[in-house]
Amino acid sequence: MSAQPYGVIATFESSAEIYHAAEQVRDAGYKNWDVIAPCPIHGMDKAMGLKRSIVPRISLAGGLTGFCTGMSMIWFVDAFDYPVTVGGKPLFSPLFAFPVSYELTILFTAFATIIGMFVVNGLPMHYHPAMKYPKFRRGTDDAFFIVIEARDPRFNAANTKALLAKIGGKDISDLEA
Amino acid sequence: MSNHAATASTAAPAAPNPGKALMIGLAGIALTAIGLAVSGAQNIAFSWLVGISFWTAIAIGFLLMILIHHIFDAKWSVVLRRQQEHGLAAFKWLALLFLPLLLTPFIGTHDLVWPWMNPDHVLHGHGTVAEDVLYAKKSGFLSVKAFVGMTVIFFGSWIILAALLRKASFTQDKDGDPKWTRMNRKLAAAGLPVAALTLTFAAIYWIKSLEYHWFSTMYGVWFFANCYRGALCISVIIFVWLYNRGDFKGILNTDHMHSIGQVMLALTIFWAYVTFSQYFLIWNANVPEETFWYNLRELNHDGTTNQWWYVGLFILFGHFVVPFCLLLSYRFKVTKHILRRIAYWILFTILVDLCYNILPGLKDAHGDAAPFLSLNLLWVVTSVVGIGGICVWAYLKSFPTTKLIPIRDPRIVECLTHHE
Repeated sequence: MSAQPYGVIATFESSAEIYHAAEQVRDAGYKNWDVIAPCPIHGMDKAMGLKRSIVPRISLAGGLTGFCTGMSMIWFVDAFDYPVTVGGKPLFSPLFAFPVSYELTILFTAFATIIGMFVVNGLPMHYHPAMKYPKFRRGTDDAFFIVIEARDPRFNAANTKALLAKIGGKDISDLEA
Repeated sequence: MSNHAATASTAAPAAPNPGKALMIGLAGIALTAIGLAVSGAQNIAFSWLVGISFWTAIAIGFLLMILIHHIFDAKWSVVLRRQQEHGLAAFKWLALLFLPLLLTPFIGTHDLVWPWMNPDHVLHGHGTVAEDVLYAKKSGFLSVKAFVGMTVIFFGSWIILAALLRKASFTQDKDGDPKWTRMNRKLAAAGLPVAALTLTFAAIYWIKSLEYHWFSTMYGVWFFANCYRGALCISVIIFVWLYNRGDFKGILNTDHMHSIGQVMLALTIFWAYVTFSQYFLIWNANVPEETFWYNLRELNHDGTTNQWWYVGLFILFGHFVVPFCLLLSYRFKVTKHILRRIAYWILFTILVDLCYNILPGLKDAHGDAAPFLSLNLLWVVTSVVGIGGICVWAYLKSFPTTKLIPIRDPRIVECLTHHE
């Protein structure tokens, strides 16, 4: 049984090379592709045409949830479920509920940010088809790869390989899923 | 990118005419002086105190930002620093403009502004200041000699720190010697505690002692937060102005804007944290020596709500909730005209916050706070315009004397390519 094709991979030797190669892959209109680099490359998000991450929105949702949880929990406990007057204060006031709501805002924002980041990045990822590429180990040291996935609507084995060769990719190979 | 910077900064920047700012400033001061005949010396003195606190806070904020920049050996804020250094030129004029208030302890019954300066000042229901145990306990701190001496020390230390920081930075433009950077870093280590202590005591002497019975350990921190926020807002206005003029094209990039916006957001939260803590602790402990300060700003003696209650709510939402929600957005932080609009809004709310802290020191015959909506607002505006005009004039006069950015700072290239 033949393995399913995942896509094609190409090697680049420097961050400058891969930066310009990424710009050309972006301009060729590909959507399902990625750059694998041993270090962060400044400006790569623009070169790849990536939009800003949606993680901040997930954080905001987490923060709002935390704030509302704190406020409603204290209202429920102090003013609804078991009302007891303490220190001559009202049964519920946003003032004394604020410190707890504020802490929960931070806590839930942190959870949402971490979890959101993992989900958006598809982590934890124990396997990636690029791991079968013979040069993969150099990708943690001094080599840069571009992987274009077969599910991309513009993917065409011959044309995509030609594009990667044209923009300076070496050792272009097919990847199995 | 550095090519743009090089062309932009080789020539000294074209000088806008500072004369206009001076005329506006003098007109504001003249109008405030006319107010003496309309509203009387006390109302004018309080309004002037609001105006001078506002601009002094911003100048202190510049000082703090520069000191913090140096102590952290920061790179992203190098291009921003120069304009803030020009802003420091306002300190000596602020000292001069503070003089009229420094003379009030020596005229009339001495208590034109600060009631504790007159031992015969009648307190509502407590006899006089001299008979007041809380005054007796605090009289070592609250004496006219200490007040005048400390105010001289405040302005003296700010002026000296400003002069040293400016001299080192401006000289480096000429000789490119990194020793000036190291010197400023050491100066920052010594200067930050000085700046922190002076601004705290300034807030206590000038503003908090208007109600000398009151206790709040958060007061200096509250003032610090307003100083820093005000300086950030004026910085944004200056940078966007320079960008639109073309001077900052190729210098100020998106990530600089984002970083400034992030600091604005952080300080918005910090201000709220401090201000809320002050209110919450007093509300929760419910001790009359402390709650009276907020009661004065909420209720009249007959229990009816006064105008300051609404001002307080405006500050809660206008000074925190609105800028907080707006500054969460990445787009608002990096879009120059939007960030500038937010900056104008925060400056306005800082002014309202200072009014809230200062103006209720004016009492009517029942001991209630004088209403917010009064002719005094006009004199606050003329004071702010008058003192602001002089500050802008001082800034513009300093502006063409150096390069636009510190081009020979060791970190300038890292700053020009700032990327988060």
